[in-house]
Order: sequence, then C-alpha cells, then structure tokens
Amino acid sequence: MTATTTGALPVAAARPAPAAVPLAVLGWGVVSSSGIGADAFAEAIVAGRSGLADVGDMFPEPLPDERACAMPGFNVKDHLKGKGTRHLDRATKLALVGTDLALADARPAIEDDPGMVGIVLGTTAGSVKTTSDYSRDTFVQDKPYLVDPIMFPSATINGSAGRCAIWHKLGGVNATIAGGQLSGLQVLRYGRMVLGRGHADALLAGAVEEFSPQMAWAARHLYGDGPERVPVGEAAVVFAVRDARRTREAGIRPDAEVLGMAFGTYAPPGEAPDPGLGLAECIGRALRQAEVEPGELWAVSTGERGVARLDQVERRGVQTALGGRAVRSLRVKSLVGECHSASGGLQLAALLAHHRHDPALDGRASLVTSVSADGAVGAAVVRGWSRPHSPQNGAEA
Amino acid sequence: MTRASTRRVVVTGLGPVSSIGIGIADFAAGIRAGRSGISPISGFDSTGFPHFMAGEVQGFEPKRILRRLTVDDWGPAGVLAACAARLAVQDAGIAPEVLEAAPAGSAMGTTGGESKVTELLTEEAITTGWGGITPDTVGHIPASRLAYAVNRELGLTGEALTFSTACSASNYAIGYAYDLIQSGEQEYMIAGGADTIARWSHAGFFRLGAIAAERCAPFDRDRGGIITGEGGAALFLESLDSARARGARIYGEVLGYGLNCDANHMVAPHPPGIAECMRRAHRNAGISPADVDYICAHGTGTPANDVAEWQAVTEVFGDRTPPISSVKSMLGHTMGAASGFGAMAALVGMTEGFLPPTVNHANPDPLLEGLDPVPNRARPAEPRIVQNNGFAFGGNNAITIFGRLT
Repeated sequence: MTATTTGALPVAAARPAPAAVPLAVLGWGVVSSSGIGADAFAEAIVAGRSGLADVGDMFPEPLPDERACAMPGFNVKDHLKGKGTRHLDRATKLALVGTDLALADARPAIEDDPGMVGIVLGTTAGSVKTTSDYSRDTFVQDKPYLVDPIMFPSATINGSAGRCAIWHKLGGVNATIAGGQLSGLQVLRYGRMVLGRGHADALLAGAVEEFSPQMAWAARHLYGDGPERVPVGEAAVVFAVRDARRTREAGIRPDAEVLGMAFGTYAPPGEAPDPGLGLAECIGRALRQAEVEPGELWAVSTGERGVARLDQVERRGVQTALGGRAVRSLRVKSLVGECHSASGGLQLAALLAHHRHDPALDGRASLVTSVSADGAVGAAVVRGWSRPHSPQNGAEA
Repeated sequence: MTRASTRRVVVTGLGPVSSIGIGIADFAAGIRAGRSGISPISGFDSTGFPHFMAGEVQGFEPKRILRRLTVDDWGPAGVLAACAARLAVQDAGIAPEVLEAAPAGSAMGTTGGESKVTELLTEEAITTGWGGITPDTVGHIPASRLAYAVNRELGLTGEALTFSTACSASNYAIGYAYDLIQSGEQEYMIAGGADTIARWSHAGFFRLGAIAAERCAPFDRDRGGIITGEGGAALFLESLDSARARGARIYGEVLGYGLNCDANHMVAPHPPGIAECMRRAHRNAGISPADVDYICAHGTGTPANDVAEWQAVTEVFGDRTPPISSVKSMLGHTMGAASGFGAMAALVGMTEGFLPPTVNHANPDPLLEGLDPVPNRARPAEPRIVQNNGFAFGGNNAITIFGRLT
C-alpha cells in the first residue's frame, strides 16, 4: 500500500460542498434489543437501558459469547399481520417490521403516491447467514445444487429491500447500499440525491443487520474479546423522509432535518491518509453545509464501540473539528450493541429519542459521526424537534 | 425532472475486465466480432453440477494492472472493481495527480459483493467451526469494500458508495455518478460494478431452472437460460466542459436514467414495472421513445425475462421498436457488472458505428414477434441515442440513457 500523503489531506477534501437539499424526517421505526418502535426505543435510550440478552439458545452453532444485544424472542408475527413471512431470512423480517413502524410513525403519512415512494436500505453484506448457509449446502448436500430455491432471494444482498417493497406495495426507487458501518448515513445521503433530483417523492431510508453466528464470530475475529468492546447486536432502523423544502413550504414540523452530510475515503487507522483528519474535514464540511457552528451542537452521537484503534480515530476527528469544545457525547452502542450497518441509523435514532419528548431541545443541532475499519468516514448534522403530545397519540405537529 | 442545461455529463473512459477481453481495445473488438467468453468453470470445483459453463475472466493478472492495491488485502470482487477502475482512468487519459487532487469518488454495483470470501470461509468452517477459521480474510466480507477498493487504488478521498441492488446495480451506480457530476458535487466519478462467480449463486440459479446447459441464447425460441459470468466494469464520468478542456475523447453523453421497483415478485420480472421504468428514464433524459435508436437489453436468455422485457418494450415503443440485443450472449450474466458492460458495449458501438450483436441466435421466438435482436453479427449503424436496460431480483429496475455528443 503506497502512502499518498502523510500529515495534510489532499486539497480536494478541503473544497466546500455545494449547497445541498436538506432531508426532513417525518417519522421513524426501530427494531432493536433496546425496544421496538420509536416510543419504546426512545424511552429505553433516555433511561439508559441496555438490550443485552442471553442468546445461548438462539442457534445450534456455538457462539463466541452467551450474551448479545439481540432479540432471541423476536417473532415477526407479533408485529405484522398477513401471510408470507415464514420463509424469510431474519434480516428481512426485521426490515419488514422496521419499515412498517416507520410508515406508521410518519406524520403526515408519506404513502400518498406509492409509485413514487422508495426504499433505501443499508447493509454490510445482506443476510450473511443465509448466503453462508447456501454455500454450505453446496458442500454438504448429496448434490451441490440441492439448495433451497425459496431462500435464494434472501441469499442475495438486496432481498430485504425488495421484500419490503412488495409488502408495502411501494413502486419507487428500491436501493440497497452496502455501506457497512457507514450505511446509516449513506442511505440518507443517497436519499437526499434521489429526492432532490426528482427520482422519488418520499423514501423509507434505513438499514438492517441481523444477529447470527457468522456475524458474531466475524466480530470476534476482527476485534478480539476485550471486555471494553461492546457486544454484537442486531437491529432494523428506518426513517420516513422527504425533501425538507417541501415540508417547510407545507408548514410541517418534522422530527428532524438532516441539514448537512459529508463523506470521505481514507486509509485504515494508523495508515495515511489519516481517517481522523479526514473525519474532521467531513465534520467541517457537514457543518458548513448545514450553516451550523460547532458551538450550537447539543450532542455528538458517535459510533464508538470499545475498539481503541477505531474509537481514537473518531474522537480525534470530532475534537479536531470542534476545536476541543466539550460537547455531550452519546454512545448508543453501549446500549444497543454493535449493529454494524444499522449503527448510523441507531445513532441518529438515539438523538431523536432525546428530542421526542423534550421540547427544551427543539430546533437544537447535533452531529452524527461514523468511522469504518477500512478508513471510510462520514458525518451528518441534524436538527431535531419534539412530538407535541404524549406517545402513540398520532398528534399532528 | 427535466435535465438542467447547465452541466452536461460525458463518459470519457471505459475499463472492462471481462471474459471476452481485458481493457477497452480487446473488449470492443470482442463485442464487434461477437466473441464468446464462455468456458467450463475453473473458479470453483463444479463437480456434480449438471451445468458447468460460465463466463470467466481468463488470463487476468491484477498485479499488472493495479498500481497501489496489494491483491491479498482485498476480496476478489474488490480486485475486479479496482482493476476496471484503473483501466477506465488510463483509457480516459487523465493525469493521476489531477484526479487525486479533484473532488472525485466512486459508485460501484454488485450482486454478491465478496460472497466468494464468505463461501471460502464457510467451507473452512464446515470442519473447523466458525471459531476456528483462518481470520485473515474476515475483514474482506463487507461489500462496501468494492467502492473503497476503487478509491484506494486511484487515491481518491471522496465518497465511495457500493450499490448492492443485484443485477441492475451498475445502472444505479452510473445514475448516481451522473447526478453527482451534474449537480456539481463531484468533478469526476468512477461508476460500474463487479461480481465473481460462486457456488452458492450458481446453485441457486440452477435450482430456479434458470441456467442454460452450454450457451446463452437470448431471444431465441429455444433459449435455455443464463450462463453465469464474472467481471469488473467501470466508466469514467466527467462534465462536458472538463472533457473538452482537456481534449478528451468522448464516448457519449449520459442523458439520464430511471429507477423503480416492480413491488410484485422477488424473482419474476413484471412487464408493467419495467415499462414504467423505461418511461421514467425517458422523462429524466428528456427524450421520447421514438428518439431511441438501440436498446442494450437486460436479455438474460431465460424464457421469462425475454418475454417480459419485450412486452414492456412494445408497451412503451408501440410498433416502432428499435433493435434490441443482449451482450449476455457473449459475456454470460455478470450480475452486478452486467449493466456496466451493457453501457460500455452500447457506447463502443455508438463511437465505432455498430450495434452489438446477440450471438447464439438460431430461431426467432414467435412470442417475440417483431423483435430485431441484431442476430449473430454486429451491424453497421450510427445510433444517436441508446437505452441500457438493467433488471434484478427484488424488482429492482434501473435504466440508463446515453446519447452521441451533438
């Protein structure tokens, strides 16, 4: 690997991004070990309740840890009426419930023109368990082709997004973005583009990651078994979004506006170009896009996960960008675990959890940051608002 | 959704790593000659598979193409993506230092991502358990690394987005790259896709009855399905102003694209959904069906796809249907790279003055009455506007439109 720079970043990164269309979040849904549904999740996050559970009986295969931020009791039929959920992979079941919850939470509803409502879902590599089980069958069955044809769509990475479109009858842009750790922000970034360019009127943008032996062991192999590392988790998190110019014109107060986003691709921690400096650059660009000063931020919702080499990059990036200013730090992974591609969405949801019933935070700006093990980084600046009335009342803003 | 007139987007570099040729000269000659890239599978042990042909990339030496990446640090799909990107940049003739200093990034599409890595680890885990696998390649699993590989190979610090929208993914990537440049957010973009063949997907398609025995014969009466394929496809996109300023050779202009979802069935194509996608693409590009001189088909060669695609074409184009051919007849179905290869074949034809052929064509299908598949031989022609179809599992339709620069 050739190092291209040592200290300073290439000049390209320093260029200010053109003004971008803000996104309005009109509702959201979470399926996580810390709660299912925006209200239950908000309550758990504000109370600081962890979703750690005993997962020893979830799979026949051994697991690296007996406990994880997973949902061993999750049953899709508890949340969705209708047929056709039996032969689905776990990720798709989580995504179906997550998208359903987001649609139900949206104020006002976004499905007025279903042909122009799209779905953008983030992932690491789809349902890795299903793909791996498929590969396994080609080795262990009597004939290598004796795989289960019903599960084939679930073994391809875009299976969940396609199923969600069929379930909700949404004919708009259907995209799966394999962003891994950055997925949560990348789906909003892509969403901003397709909405701003008229390819869709509204979107369900989110991410899903299932808990499986494969993913649990992958995390163990990659990050070791240090006690400071957060447990592996699973979640679906979905936001109902529109172009904020339209919601502003209509006088609608959303749950949040995503005002600025910036991304960069650097080297893994310890190599050049430095992802910490890169993250600082991205935060700066996102703040400028949002026209928000560092001093206005009430919180930074980070992806820190108790892996020192990655967390140091993230902290250094934030501190550099904010000039050492002390800003409240939310580390949602300490409650919901390492949910990989769902992380960024959960970080945003954690901010919205605090906003949801706290008018004192109305209109306040905050920051979401993300760092991948490969050195890709991203940042988003959001402004949030409370829901005026009590939970589940369906109140219009 | 009309096209802004301020900033036009053109393709100035093509980087194919394919079963019919590596690099644009070989690939273009192959497309024009109707060369077949299909051979018996060597990428995995195909013992026990009744159908064992595939479009594999032969004579591929990534170390001779890559300048920055170390092959062993990346999964095979990432290596294909990075090699295709390097070739596209070389073809574009842009100085590396100019590219590295500019706002530039990549958008790459895939079906399986690095599922080949997962498959090899799975094979190991059968005997060792997941706790006992060799951990060196576990970090290669995330599909995000396709676009990262491109950025790292080229020294780009801009955004890198991997679309895993299966077999239309390259068209998503091209569309997004077009939007990024047209809106002024980026100066240069690499867009395309990459996939490898693997046991799991070969088995899955076989179980669906979708794999042909020996050859892929799209639009033929006796077509038997797809031939799985692999490869890396990359297009280099920049603004017209930028291309003119540096005196670049221009293959064609990106006029627009359309995306939608059938929201109907996970694997069966749905003609009304496909037709709607064509309308969206035409609207976005500011053209009407009569403007389209050639369609580079999704054309998988399954009985179901070709009928559905033709139904949609006739619904949108009426009785004035342009020639429609499938390069999958030569390359096999390269999955996430497929619509990237389609775009490259169409652009090469536009530049060199021919329509790519559908090879293996013996008998017209009475169910496809009126379809002109450009059978077996490339046809001299001067297409001005071409439509590049991409469809996928999950009803993920994506269509790009290219025009000759006027």
